[in-house]
Amino acid sequence: MSPIIEIKNVTKEFKVLNRREGLRGSLKDLFSRDYRTVRAVDNISMDIEQGEIVGYLGPNGAGKSTTIKMMTGVLEPTSGEILVGGNVPYQNRTKNAQEIGVVFGQRSQLWWALPLVESFRLLKDIYQISDADYDNMLALYQSLVDIEPLLHKPVRQMSLGQRTLSDILAAFLHDPKIVFLDEPTIGLDVSMKSKIRTLIHALNREKKTTVILTTHDMGDVDALCRRIVIIDKGKMLYDNDIEHLKGFFGSYRTLKIRVDGDLKTQADVIQNALRDFSVSADDEWISILVDEEKAKVIDVLGQLQRSFSLRDMQLEEISTEEVIKKIYEEGVQ
Amino acid sequence: MKLKKYLTLTRAGIIESLQFRLATVVMVIGNILYLIVVYFLWKAIYASSGTDIVNGMTFSDTLIYLVLATALFNFMEMYTVWEIGRSIQSGKIVLDLLKPIEYRRYLFWSYSGSFITQFFFTFLPTFIIVAAVTHGAIHLGLNLLFFVISVVMAVSINYSIDFLVGTICLYTESIWGINIMKQVIVLLLSGATIPIAFFPEPLKTIVYYLPFQSIYNAPLSILLDGTPQPQTVLVTLGTQLLWCIVMMILSRLFWKISLRQITVNGG
Repeated sequence: MSPIIEIKNVTKEFKVLNRREGLRGSLKDLFSRDYRTVRAVDNISMDIEQGEIVGYLGPNGAGKSTTIKMMTGVLEPTSGEILVGGNVPYQNRTKNAQEIGVVFGQRSQLWWALPLVESFRLLKDIYQISDADYDNMLALYQSLVDIEPLLHKPVRQMSLGQRTLSDILAAFLHDPKIVFLDEPTIGLDVSMKSKIRTLIHALNREKKTTVILTTHDMGDVDALCRRIVIIDKGKMLYDNDIEHLKGFFGSYRTLKIRVDGDLKTQADVIQNALRDFSVSADDEWISILVDEEKAKVIDVLGQLQRSFSLRDMQLEEISTEEVIKKIYEEGVQ
Repeated sequence: MKLKKYLTLTRAGIIESLQFRLATVVMVIGNILYLIVVYFLWKAIYASSGTDIVNGMTFSDTLIYLVLATALFNFMEMYTVWEIGRSIQSGKIVLDLLKPIEYRRYLFWSYSGSFITQFFFTFLPTFIIVAAVTHGAIHLGLNLLFFVISVVMAVSINYSIDFLVGTICLYTESIWGINIMKQVIVLLLSGATIPIAFFPEPLKTIVYYLPFQSIYNAPLSILLDGTPQPQTVLVTLGTQLLWCIVMMILSRLFWKISLRQITVNGG
């Protein structure tokens, strides 16, 4: 079977007006023809198979959204080729729209003033979903999350989490081949995040929907993606499965604790106790960088608890930014 | 089946506009205030002119015309420019573009619901009140049918102009000034604020060659003409049809070109 998305040597350039500063500069800008070209996406190639969940990572301004906009057909690539389900997206935007679903983290495609079920009915007619398919989909939703209370609630009265959840359901409603999720868990609390991850995972499994997920949250990536693609400054840095990347940077997590007494002196004591890991202290926390291949965080915590009285603790995952920094510094084999 | 795709948007629009009861009430009050101003303004104009008939219109002719123009405005004004401008600024336009319906149609049908509610809640009551109060100053006959046909075309022309102006927002990324400019031009040159009969001769001629008078002047003159000549009606409707087609083609073309610009250069 051929891949559902084929991207070949795609580059996207924007023309940006060189802005000058101050009042005089602004006036000059009115007549300025001084453009500079910005390369937002630089020679990217990848194939994505039906049913994959791909994590698309990169810092802000890396070119993630631009790539997604090209895949959805809102932008036309400057050079290179994109095929989505056999279509060239920007040439057949309306046709392509039938095959894809999108969720853009902060914006909602739902009808603001209406109860969710009305939005669903609208989408049903707009995407020309048959009654049987629509009922099946709602039954599937009902089995995954408790949507009954949401259905009759106007969207404007929903919490951010409920709205995001509803938006994801709306994006999957017409059973698209591909769903683009742009930072779906941004601003949500832990329990909502996990609810949404479970939902995405289940929908992907049930419907074999390809999911392209952009996020800054390594937790999302860990929970959902087998494969990740990392781009920075428009260039592709990494495209492989997540295990490979994990093996590369190790599964480091930072354990932060607070104990009684002076943190600096206590840190030295802990460092002596835990020879394998590096321990440092600042004004608030003692940080222990734990390599989970050597010992589980929970064991380290247990060990510490036996000899110290812990007042507080925190666990930090390695962030996308750190991963990218590490890739830059050390390269990927 | 295909039509259902669009009618569902109409349906949602009706439900949506019924959600905001207070907004409707406020609008009705605003209109009454506007009409009071209009009443006294024109009363003063007629009083100072010294004659009962100015430019072929009596005081009550003028007033009926302006009241109905206001009612027509309430029902035809779609705030398309605002809507396009806002969705460009907020980036929501990306989501709208990704619906499997062409954007120009999508927007129109999304608004069609509020047409229907506005027609029943503002235009029709106003019309009935005016007709009742003036005791037969409005001829009720075949002209009603022509009026309806004329309004349908007026809606289409108005939408095309709005969409054309809204498209400009893709370039300017600001809406306020453009919207105000459009509103003033359309309302003045269409005869919505001052009946075209009052315009000075050269301007009147120019206005008849512009599309705007087809929006308000044409349907109202058809409605209020007590003794319609088949020829006048035909010319009026024909002109409207012509503008309908021309503006539709223009606005579609401009949108297509602009959108291409955006997909190439990014927004």
